[in-house]
Amino acid sequence: MLEIQKLYKKYGSLVAVDGISFQANQGKIFGLLGPNGAGKTTTMRMILNIIKPTSGEILFDNNKSLNDLYNLVGYLPEERGLYRNSDVIDLIVYLASLKGMKKKEAKNQALNWLDRLGIKHLANHKISELSKGNQQKVQFITAVIHNPIILILDEPFTGLDPINQQEIKNLILELAALNKVLILSTHQMDIAEKLCSEIFLINKGKEVCSGELSEIKKNFGGQHIKIGFEGGSNFIKDDKNILQYEIFSNYAELQLNSLIKPSDFLKSIIDKTTITHFSIIEPSLNKIFIDLVNKTSEKIL
Amino acid sequence: MKKIFEVARWEYVEKIRTKTFLFSVIITPIIIILYAILPTLFVEEQSDSTKIIGVLDSTNVIFHDFNKELSSYTLNNHQPAYLLLDLKKNNQSLSNMISEADDKVKSNKIYGYFLISKLPNNILSIDFRSKNILDAKDKIRFEIAINNLRWQQQLRLKNINPSTIDFSKNNISFIETQINNNSGSPSDFISVFYRSIIYIILLTMLIISSGQMLVRSLLEEKSNRLIEILISSCKAEELLSGKIIGLSALALTQMLLWIFIGIVLLGTNVIPITSFHNIIEIIVYFILGFLFYSSLLVGIGSIVSTEQEAQQITNYLSMILIIPIVIILPAMQNPDSIFMTVLTYFPLTLPSVMILKLNITNISNFEFLTTVLIMFFSILVIIKISTKIFMIGILYYDKMPGFKELKSRIFSK
Repeated sequence: MLEIQKLYKKYGSLVAVDGISFQANQGKIFGLLGPNGAGKTTTMRMILNIIKPTSGEILFDNNKSLNDLYNLVGYLPEERGLYRNSDVIDLIVYLASLKGMKKKEAKNQALNWLDRLGIKHLANHKISELSKGNQQKVQFITAVIHNPIILILDEPFTGLDPINQQEIKNLILELAALNKVLILSTHQMDIAEKLCSEIFLINKGKEVCSGELSEIKKNFGGQHIKIGFEGGSNFIKDDKNILQYEIFSNYAELQLNSLIKPSDFLKSIIDKTTITHFSIIEPSLNKIFIDLVNKTSEKIL
Repeated sequence: MKKIFEVARWEYVEKIRTKTFLFSVIITPIIIILYAILPTLFVEEQSDSTKIIGVLDSTNVIFHDFNKELSSYTLNNHQPAYLLLDLKKNNQSLSNMISEADDKVKSNKIYGYFLISKLPNNILSIDFRSKNILDAKDKIRFEIAINNLRWQQQLRLKNINPSTIDFSKNNISFIETQINNNSGSPSDFISVFYRSIIYIILLTMLIISSGQMLVRSLLEEKSNRLIEILISSCKAEELLSGKIIGLSALALTQMLLWIFIGIVLLGTNVIPITSFHNIIEIIVYFILGFLFYSSLLVGIGSIVSTEQEAQQITNYLSMILIIPIVIILPAMQNPDSIFMTVLTYFPLTLPSVMILKLNITNISNFEFLTTVLIMFFSILVIIKISTKIFMIGILYYDKMPGFKELKSRIFSK
């Protein structure tokens, strides 16, 4: 278990991370979410020992400090790049050897991973000769080749096509099943919703909410419904029972106020439009994210 | 320790394959050899042909003896260095003779001519007229010959014994010998001058070429965030030390290749045996200078964000390194001046100044040990400071960290 206790980081007068605490458990994918500039990267850099916290502690597995555990951590940074003039296999072996792997073992593992991701034939090519997607696969391999216990993935799906996204998604789920601590940072809420069992939402360096995703959704409150309709959407915009809405091409997601029951709301709109679908839904992570970030931003302002 | 050598090995293997390294290994000696050969070739080409010099002597007393005086100068092929041509014609006016002589110069029939006349107060006037300016060697020879002539004529007028006059014509020339602790060896100003310059240029080029490779690789690692992966895999000190060791091994390879080229050319006109005097001490200053500057460049290189900034930094550092070339002439005349002493003990200039001093004067054991110790401790201090700068610089991607921030980081515990 990775435990963060009252982590605080200050750059001059700017507080980048303001006393956050959380636990990321083995075998689960932990979503570290937040808007740009929220303090996610600073938090990850502190876990990785790239920068030192102003105060607070990062503990792993019975209070062991992470300071000397470079070989146990794997990291995929958000902005990616590799030595452009190096051979794929040489680069993977070099980065694996920095993580404490023996050369021979690193080479075997590198070839296994390249094979698994369908790019073994590119092992002796220069990085500059690879497509962007394949370069990202190579970078993913460098993050996981040494079988790390803690894996930190910052926007692992950026720039990948849907097929490669699915491939990486499956690999992440497999790694979680191998009892690893997986920290995933992403702006793609639909992916976070599908992969993460626990989330930690951070904004302006402070915790906004955290916990099991199902609990967060339950506690978020409000009555959320999804309706399908034909014709214009003006009936939604003018209805005073609707607190918030999000309109798509032929359906909408609505949050109703607590004064009206969903069944009564359905009755009230049935004469105004043709309803093709009606269901009670959980709020999406995307909606929770936007709402909470907006609320905390207003508070801070 | 293992990770330090992994980084060093990677830096060495990846950079030795680059075109920049190959270019530096091959081009630098070619430039140095050209430095050594070109002046020789130029001098030899000049001295292979006899110069035809005209003399328009309106005094009628100079030409004959002048010809005799210059006849002692010969070329390598034993031909006379100068052939004098009497341009005086009795039936022509001076202005016509001048005009004809000028035409001969313009049409390259003669190299130039002396117009010798007497001014109203009986002072001799000598004007050398040519298309090109006289080179220093010819000018000195001509002046000596004419002054000798005047001196001898005066002695004759005073009825001095001819044997005394002949004795007065015998000039003495001397060779210069530098005395060191082991033995004396003949040397001269030009060879010491060129030897010193060549060693300083070699050190400068070694630092510039390796330094640029280092700063560029740091820039690449910063721009593609690989630096974050590296720093999350090993300590900053390990990464920094590995880079310096790898780069030093690369520079050592470069030096060995240059030494090999030097040995091949040893004993030829290009590299005389005297070039290897004090070679051990010179190599010591080469290595210390290289380690000092590469440690400095790792720190400075980590704060730059663009290729242009990196270029500027290496340019400024190379300007400091070549200071001894600028001061070489006064330094050769007075190697123990206060200014030279200050530069000798200032770490940025110490390596190249000591290389210069090893060529022009004797270095005491005390001076050698003191300077080596200064460099050793300077390198340790610079590595310490560079590590601190490195840790902050690598996280600045689009701008350089401010001076205040750097200062607080350097002085923090």
